Amino acid sequence: MAFVSSGYNPDKPMENRISDIGPRDFNEFMPPVIKNNFGKWLYHEILEPGVLVHVAESGDEVYTVRCGTARLMSITLIREMCDIADKHCEGFLRFTTRNNVEFMVDSKDKMVALKEDLMSRKFDGGSYKFPVGGTGAGISNIVHTQGWVHCHTPATDASGTVKVIMDDLFEEFTGHNMPAPVRIAVACCLNMCGACHCSDIAVVGIHRKPPLIDHEYLDNLCEIPLAVASCPTGAVRPSKVEIDGKQFKTVAIKEERCMFCGNCYTMCPSLPLSDKEGDGIALMVGGKVSNRISMPKFSKVVVAFIPNEPPRWPTLTKTIRNIVEVYKADANKYERLGDWAERIGWERFFEKTGIEFTPHLIDDFRDPAYYTWRQSTQFKF
Amino acid sequence: MAIVEFQGKSFDVDEDGFLLKFEEWCPEWVDFCKEGEGIKELNEEHQKVIDFLQDYYKKNGIAPMVRILSKVTGFKLKHIYELFPSGPGKGACKMAGLPKPTGCV
Ligand code: HEM
Ligand code: SF4
Ligand code: SF4
Repeated sequence: MAFVSSGYNPDKPMENRISDIGPRDFNEFMPPVIKNNFGKWLYHEILEPGVLVHVAESGDEVYTVRCGTARLMSITLIREMCDIADKHCEGFLRFTTRNNVEFMVDSKDKMVALKEDLMSRKFDGGSYKFPVGGTGAGISNIVHTQGWVHCHTPATDASGTVKVIMDDLFEEFTGHNMPAPVRIAVACCLNMCGACHCSDIAVVGIHRKPPLIDHEYLDNLCEIPLAVASCPTGAVRPSKVEIDGKQFKTVAIKEERCMFCGNCYTMCPSLPLSDKEGDGIALMVGGKVSNRISMPKFSKVVVAFIPNEPPRWPTLTKTIRNIVEVYKADANKYERLGDWAERIGWERFFEKTGIEFTPHLIDDFRDPAYYTWRQSTQFKF
Repeated sequence: MAIVEFQGKSFDVDEDGFLLKFEEWCPEWVDFCKEGEGIKELNEEHQKVIDFLQDYYKKNGIAPMVRILSKVTGFKLKHIYELFPSGPGKGACKMAGLPKPTGCV
């Protein structure tokens, strides 16, 4: 399409420039029933998976229908959401912190009609556009990242892995069959954008080979001291090489010290490390952020490597399904996955899930690693 | 990567308009950049920022942190944005010929 000006004048870039106006005030977008009862809610109930009702002091009720979304979505789909909101909800809707979408109405009848409408909408391929669920002790949406869609440091994909896991666990999204909510997160590299370090189950992209070094360009493209300082294990040091009689300032990497985190590539474009066979996924479990009964926990690595198997990642989905099933069968009511594993002991977690315990799982990172070993004779055979 | 010709000089640049080789920097580069960076005429304050960035890069091999840039030049961040509307990284470092900022920018 030919160029169409928005009115911006490139010759006077600072003229009529609006800045620092921040986001719109959320009050502008509140449904009337929410606005009228703001701060005056008495109690809530989960009527069925995906449907909540909140009752206010005034007696007003608001019914919320929660639907899964793919997070990555077209304007066409957003417009469809707007059409649904126009039809049922006076034009109002909201997105949750796990990227589900919630439609709100003020009576039960409207809720029933809304839910029916939502469940009737499918893509041409057959997937639900707006599956209702994600409440209570089930498995809600997966918090995830960019993957091969947009980032330059991933070791796996995000949208792809998330779709296959949610397909496999779909009945847990539309049900309340778990001892407690199970939060799943995906990050496509160890930067862990998102919630992997504090989720019940976490998928994290990892590399298994050290970076390649593009000696001829490195000094031009990189600030060498930053690459050196980016390495958590001190594997990177400044050095010089000679290529065809020409001297280049560059870095050297001690490969036996490198654990393939990719930090140095983040800082320096001349140190790429992604690799088709080398890259894959580490699985972590047992994290949580709430204060409910036990304190918040970090998730722990339980599977050191699962290969990338696009487009359906069968090994990954099978491993996660197995953990979910064993936890569901064995944990007490209200017990989060980490609470359960800590109560029965991690050696029992590995025994019950049948996951192989490998030396990779033993912490070896600096002084704090010591505290993850067992200073006790308390263990089960 | 592209080659830019300007006032008889040629520059290797990347898709964001950063110089690929610091050694190729010359005053013409600044003239070439300034329009794209929303700068009409360079004054001595612009020059002071560019000179300091180049000095610091030659000495230390890195671009200075924003607080160091402010402290040494005496220009608050707000003033640096008045001088270079795209900011110290995309604006000033590009004109000074430093490598493109990296990390989660
Ligand atoms: C009705 C009688 C008893 C009660 C209610 C009782 C209760 C307890 C309790 C609550 C603890 C602390 C457990 C912990 O925090 O991990 C404890 C520890 C202990 N008790 Fe008893 N106890 C009783 C009798 C005895 C007797 C008769 C002995 C020795 C002859 C004994 C030896 C110990 C020892 C050695 C420990 C420390 C265990 C450790 O190292 O953690 N207790 N007891
Ligand atoms: S987790 Fe890593 S690869 Fe994924 S979006 Fe974040 S920085 Fe990029
Ligand atoms: S990948 Fe990580 S561990 Fe390896 S050299 Fe780079 S920064 Fe160091």
